[in-house]
Amino acid sequence: MIFAGIDVGGKNVHIVITKDGTILAKVEGPTGINKAEAAEKLYEEALKKAGLKRGDISRVVATGSSGSRVAFADGVIPDAAADARGVIKLIPSARTIIDVGAEEGRAIKIGPEGRVLDFAINERCAAGTGTFVDTMSRALEVSVEEMAKLSLQSTRSIPMNAQCAVFGESEVVSLIHQKTPKHDIARAVHDAIAGRVSSVARIVGLEKDVVMIGGVAKNTGFTESLKRDIGMDVNVPDDPEFVSALGAATAAATGVLEEKVEAKVVEKEMIEEGKS
Amino acid sequence: MAKYKTKGLDCWNRAKELRAKYYKDYKEAHDRGALRWEGGAWSFDAIPQALEGEVHGLTEEPYGASIGANPELQVRYQEAAEGKWGCARDLCAYLRNYWGSIVLNEFAYGGEWPKADFIFQNHICCSHAKWLQVAAEIEGGNIPFFCFDVGAGAYDKIGERQINYVVEQLYDGIDFLEKVTKRKIDDEKLIQNVKNTYDSACYWAKACELNQAIPAPLDEKTMFSLYVLGTLEKSHKDIAHFYKDELYPEVKDRVANKIAAVADEQCRVLGDSQPPWGFLRIFRYLEKYGIVSIASLYTFSLIGWWTIDKAGKLVPYPTLEEQGITIKDRDHALRLLAEGELKGKLMWVPFYGAKYKNDIITKIAKQWKCDASIIHLNRGCEGTAQHQMEMKIAVQNLGLPVMTFEGNMADEREFDEGRTTRFIDLFVTETLGLKKVAD
Amino acid sequence: MEASEILKQFSDVWELRHEYAKDWKQKRGGKVLGYFCTYAPEEVLYAANVLPVRILGGHEAPTLATPHMFDMWCPFSRDCLNQGLQGKYDYLDGIMATNSCLHPRQAFGAWTVHVPTPWNYWFVMPNAVRSPRARKFLRGELEEFKKAIEEWTGAKITDKELDEGIDIMNTNRRLMKQVYEFRKADNPPITGSEAMTMVWASQLMDKREHNDLLKQLVDALPQRKLDRDTGVRLMIVGSENDDRPFMEMVETVGGTFVIDDHCTGSRYFWDEVTPDNDRLQAIANRYCDRVPCPNKDWGMEDISRKRFTHILKLAQDYGVQGVILVQQKFCDPHELDIPSLRRYLESNGIPCYFLEFEVTVPVGQFRIRVEAFLEQIQAEELFV
Repeated sequence: MIFAGIDVGGKNVHIVITKDGTILAKVEGPTGINKAEAAEKLYEEALKKAGLKRGDISRVVATGSSGSRVAFADGVIPDAAADARGVIKLIPSARTIIDVGAEEGRAIKIGPEGRVLDFAINERCAAGTGTFVDTMSRALEVSVEEMAKLSLQSTRSIPMNAQCAVFGESEVVSLIHQKTPKHDIARAVHDAIAGRVSSVARIVGLEKDVVMIGGVAKNTGFTESLKRDIGMDVNVPDDPEFVSALGAATAAATGVLEEKVEAKVVEKEMIEEGKS
Repeated sequence: MAKYKTKGLDCWNRAKELRAKYYKDYKEAHDRGALRWEGGAWSFDAIPQALEGEVHGLTEEPYGASIGANPELQVRYQEAAEGKWGCARDLCAYLRNYWGSIVLNEFAYGGEWPKADFIFQNHICCSHAKWLQVAAEIEGGNIPFFCFDVGAGAYDKIGERQINYVVEQLYDGIDFLEKVTKRKIDDEKLIQNVKNTYDSACYWAKACELNQAIPAPLDEKTMFSLYVLGTLEKSHKDIAHFYKDELYPEVKDRVANKIAAVADEQCRVLGDSQPPWGFLRIFRYLEKYGIVSIASLYTFSLIGWWTIDKAGKLVPYPTLEEQGITIKDRDHALRLLAEGELKGKLMWVPFYGAKYKNDIITKIAKQWKCDASIIHLNRGCEGTAQHQMEMKIAVQNLGLPVMTFEGNMADEREFDEGRTTRFIDLFVTETLGLKKVAD
Repeated sequence: MEASEILKQFSDVWELRHEYAKDWKQKRGGKVLGYFCTYAPEEVLYAANVLPVRILGGHEAPTLATPHMFDMWCPFSRDCLNQGLQGKYDYLDGIMATNSCLHPRQAFGAWTVHVPTPWNYWFVMPNAVRSPRARKFLRGELEEFKKAIEEWTGAKITDKELDEGIDIMNTNRRLMKQVYEFRKADNPPITGSEAMTMVWASQLMDKREHNDLLKQLVDALPQRKLDRDTGVRLMIVGSENDDRPFMEMVETVGGTFVIDDHCTGSRYFWDEVTPDNDRLQAIANRYCDRVPCPNKDWGMEDISRKRFTHILKLAQDYGVQGVILVQQKFCDPHELDIPSLRRYLESNGIPCYFLEFEVTVPVGQFRIRVEAFLEQIQAEELFV
């Protein structure tokens, strides 16, 4: 049977189509303002890529911060649950997942069967998310990829504010004015985000194997900083930004139909209650 | 078919009536020649309420909370405090509500801000004394102000020296009251007020203790509307009577007849701190999964008094009758009042360290047979948010799953309902592995 | 020794505080006790040959502290806990807390659970400091504290030793005040940053050694001429502050901090113990009467703040032209005071500028803002 997993995040949508656990196609695109439309459009693209029609898919499960907007999904699972399902499939020895996307950084402790035992999320601010990386790279006037490369060249550690993206950006500007070498600033930025992310991860406890997923996992500057910070190895699977979608597809394979219906009903009730 | 029988509380309406009357009396006090005072919910209301004649108080915390339960009002008042007075946004949310109310010259219960005749305040944390110090300043600086310190040490270190410290300040307080109001403290009234305080505090604790039953007769959302009376005026005879003769017997009856707060109770939760007042519907959401919040140090002990018995169990503080005490005179009354608050109000223990809080919440989790914990990391109150992350670790060490979510008891700008619901979904369906049981 | 050399020693202690303390332990053989808040009664500790060291942050992201203190607690307190969790204070024999504001209490609470410091103590410093009842209560607390220290160290504290402890503390206070007097000059021979480093060193080193250096500094300062313009005379007021880069930045853009009010500054040492036969009562009186932390700055019978008139007097005595209010993010005590303090100072003709501090500050951005503030003051002076 063939299944689809759709991860609708704040910035991007990721879709995978699987058959017998193998990925047939994967597609990525911007979420934009109309999330339902974005999901629909990209789903069509994924089907085309896989050479399939809608009817070929046995079940679709959505996840992500806007997973519930996927009108055609048969079920929705919480994003951290999707992370867990996806990671445990790829790396059965995983026990701690760090997922840093554009808008949220989270840490998840999972059991051997992939169940979410504990989770923590950086609740306040863009600091510790992909947006922070983007903002700092713009301040440095380099691309995110270049910033990562520069960071790996530095051997110096400069403490930088990691609690507030606005403060952080100000500090980068200050460092530039102080004529600090770019590669040292790049490392400071990555160290700061790594510190923020690791502090969230420490809330759930760092137990190996530690796996990193989400868009920021592709940033080697960041993963090096993180390894240094936590003093442990960090496993990054291929296509880390698709792992959540893979998890949703895995959930589809095990059957979560009833959850979507409940989620919709409950959401409706909450809206009603809010009005009264 | 629901698991247990359930019904609403018979005394529910009475609680609402008492609360409404309290604010009405405060508002109309001057019309009747009665005195008005502002003070803390922990302010030993037994004392100013013992002045001759009619007296009504406005306690700051519940007033701040009332505004917090109305997000529209709360934002307006807080913006006034932040914009016009100029205070920081991360100060205690109740405090900003309160100051905003004065800045705008509005009373949340209608009309203009009712000016008080004096302030009778207590202090334990960073802000209580300052709260009303600044409030008085905003109002023009002409209200007589008295504040006493209750930060005398942890409950297990309270001896004569600590009680004396507080009692001596209370005597100073009495001198102050008599001077500024030109009325005397009536010792008979004082003695009765202290008796009432004991009844309110001990019988609320007894009612909370009954929540150890399965199913729990009360849920925290309901309990919030019940403990609040004790934050208004523990020393009032009607409020003492409510706890002793109405609520407590009714809860006992519910336990005897296995009447549950939530018919499908399947997961008993330990909470902490005030909830986000404008979003109590999250409790109803949890109930759809049979999840009931039934216990918390905050709800039990903001007004309730407790003690640790010889077996190391958390039990309600003994009433005056149980201790075989008849109050003799003013001094005896003041000592008993101070002792009860200092030894019994375990809501104060977190002020003295994480080990104290961990000890108490561990006892609560075990005795109340909790299955999980949901902790509201309350950015609105440093006092009740103390050691919450340590509490998480301690509860996890007991083998219970714990979830935390950041929010604010009375600032809706700091609470993300959508996000919190996502976390709850994850916790409930994944970590707890529960399915929906009710609509 | 020249003034600059002495000041360098203070700076070294601040930077190498842990090495200093470990060294002290070896040489003196006494115990080292960490404290969070300046209401800790150091007189008793010196009497017992205990080295009190203030726990200060490391100005780095408090990564290890997050699982213990979530983000709304003040960055300084989280930084302090982070240092403990990192093992930087593994040489401490004990740690103590007082009834400080709630933020360091969180750090202390988590510390006692997770950092293996062998001994800890909670000192119940009363809050109603203006009440005579607090003096009496505090004397009782000091009695118990003294007994606890005696038990901990295994040695009784005699009256003579208490007198010595009081003398060490008073001498330190007096000497630092003398150094501060030099800052009243039109061209102070010591910058604000240097003066602050002197105070930080006092909180981190044996005050007997500090006193020796201070005596030499008092002698050396009259000869010192700084090759700089004093510029705008500033006062720094607020929460804990040991952010040297910030202080140095302000003093390179046309300002000089000539005085301060914060707990790693003058508030720490401004008031002495008035000796008395009842030593413990004398100490109690000092801690009740000292310039208060905002959370203790309230009266029994009125809404006045003792600290405000004190700040104004300092500003006037030191010829201050502007006040920079610094506040650690989330700091309740200062947030409660700042709107009123601002109004008070401005109505007395002293302009204020507010800055919020974190463990590290964006010096570049703050520079722009401080420069604007200094320009504003200078422009106003032109038209006065």
